[in-house]
Amino acid sequence: MANLSVNICGVAFKNPLIAASGTFGFGREYNEIYDISQIGGISTKGMTLQPRLGNPVPRIAEGSGVILNAVGLQNPGVDHFIKYDLPFLKEKGIVIVANVAGKSFDEYGEICAKLNGLVDFVELNISCPNVKAGGMAFGIKPESIEKVTRVAKSSLSKTPLMVKLSPNVESIPVNAQAAERGGADCVSLINTLTGMVIDIERRRPLIANNTGGVSGAGIKPIAVRMVYEAAHAVSIPVIGMGGITCGKDVIEFMMAGAKAVQVGTANFTNANAMPEIIAQTNGWLDAHGIKDINEIIDTVRLNG
Amino acid sequence: MKDLTTVVKSNVKIAENIFMITLTLPESAGRIKGGQFVNLSTGDGAHLLRRPLGVMKVEGNDVSVCYQLKGEGTVKLSQAKAGDKLKILLPLGNGFDLEGKKNIAVIGGGVGIFPLIATIREHCADKKFYSYIGFRNKNAVCLTDELEKSEKLTIVTDDGGFGAKGNAVEAYLNDCDKPEPDLIIACGPPVMLKVLKQKLSERGIKTPCYVSLEERMGCGIGACLVCVCKKTDGENARVCKDGPVFNIEEVEL
Repeated sequence: MANLSVNICGVAFKNPLIAASGTFGFGREYNEIYDISQIGGISTKGMTLQPRLGNPVPRIAEGSGVILNAVGLQNPGVDHFIKYDLPFLKEKGIVIVANVAGKSFDEYGEICAKLNGLVDFVELNISCPNVKAGGMAFGIKPESIEKVTRVAKSSLSKTPLMVKLSPNVESIPVNAQAAERGGADCVSLINTLTGMVIDIERRRPLIANNTGGVSGAGIKPIAVRMVYEAAHAVSIPVIGMGGITCGKDVIEFMMAGAKAVQVGTANFTNANAMPEIIAQTNGWLDAHGIKDINEIIDTVRLNG
Repeated sequence: MKDLTTVVKSNVKIAENIFMITLTLPESAGRIKGGQFVNLSTGDGAHLLRRPLGVMKVEGNDVSVCYQLKGEGTVKLSQAKAGDKLKILLPLGNGFDLEGKKNIAVIGGGVGIFPLIATIREHCADKKFYSYIGFRNKNAVCLTDELEKSEKLTIVTDDGGFGAKGNAVEAYLNDCDKPEPDLIIACGPPVMLKVLKQKLSERGIKTPCYVSLEERMGCGIGACLVCVCKKTDGENARVCKDGPVFNIEEVEL
């Protein structure tokens, strides 16, 4: 059994697997299938100051090796989370990452202030492709990334800040550096890629929102490249995600420079995905005689 | 609720574009109520989403579900052979609650009949079912032997090619001989459920009515908030976790 524990911004994870925002709710449902205290952490469903009902249905579609979603940040609001879901997650003893989105810079500050000191990380969702106001609007240009990060950080004296980066941008290294300048303690990437699937019989997009965020195994090579670029552009830790379905994928992201990873769509394909991936990751390390997962981080060497 | 690897026992065509697959579970999944569903993998790595399918029959550790060929995923599923292994998550959703009810009217349309059949099978020993079932045409008619477990069965088709011409809601409303039901259960295309709700309201019928809804799903367990429906109070409900069975008065159709 290799050591799987990692430490990011002074927060100890029992293993580097974090459930990705939007795929795992607040943990209660998956906890009916297995004890979620086995996983390293959870990034909650994206939360806003006020409850949101989200987009019309259908909210999901499939492509080959990928899915698209456009839920549109349906959530019960941050106050409901603090009162109802946070105590449950605290009992589970996993790292709690509160994923938050705002409609304005002020709203990002306000929601962060509510969570300061209550959770292990706040993850800024500045790259949700499925809401018209806010979300992605903050996550495209380095100037607005730096500003929204600075506003959030100023409300977070006690809780480290993770900024989730969008892949739908001109430059990942430039945007990662903008988050670092704004005061981010770490960055996570990639959020979903914006896509469209058309029902050719009806000549209409399958998703009511027309476009949706593409995730799943098919996006993994893009995500690995972007994680590598970010990890080599900033000195803060990088958390990688995008299409992870097995232990070898975890190893690949960590070799690219990720200190931890998030697992999302795989939970839909296999409800036991996270415990299985943890076991597979350990299996790979054991088979290669590696005693500590930290030894593999950022060890990829580029060809000639 | 368990995520298990099942072995395909059989996978046969039962009507035009409709298949029934029977899967042997490695262990009991506990009680599965009529109206509950499973999330079944297609056995194809390119299709990441599982297919939510209403349970039609449970016999020991064998579970049968039926599905319509709609796209690449269900076509792939139809190619599964006896002995193949598929992943299944079950049982999901709430199912029909028939506690204390004796005479139940069943209104079903097309592929909506499968969870209704499971409900009839589960309770036909001690409750009476009066079933009104609509199909598009005679090629779509299936599982009549199961439907005949009802006290009374009326089958209609859109074109009159099997049974009388008409739809299931009309067939129910026009049957003057039936005893007054203490519950109506229904599953079928959205338009059928919408018409049912309108007609019950227009005619002032106060009999409680439960409907099972269908929606495109992600996780199937209530975590991802993909498969919501609108409730009459303006809130959203999760079809997979809060449903798929709802009181018809609680949901917008």
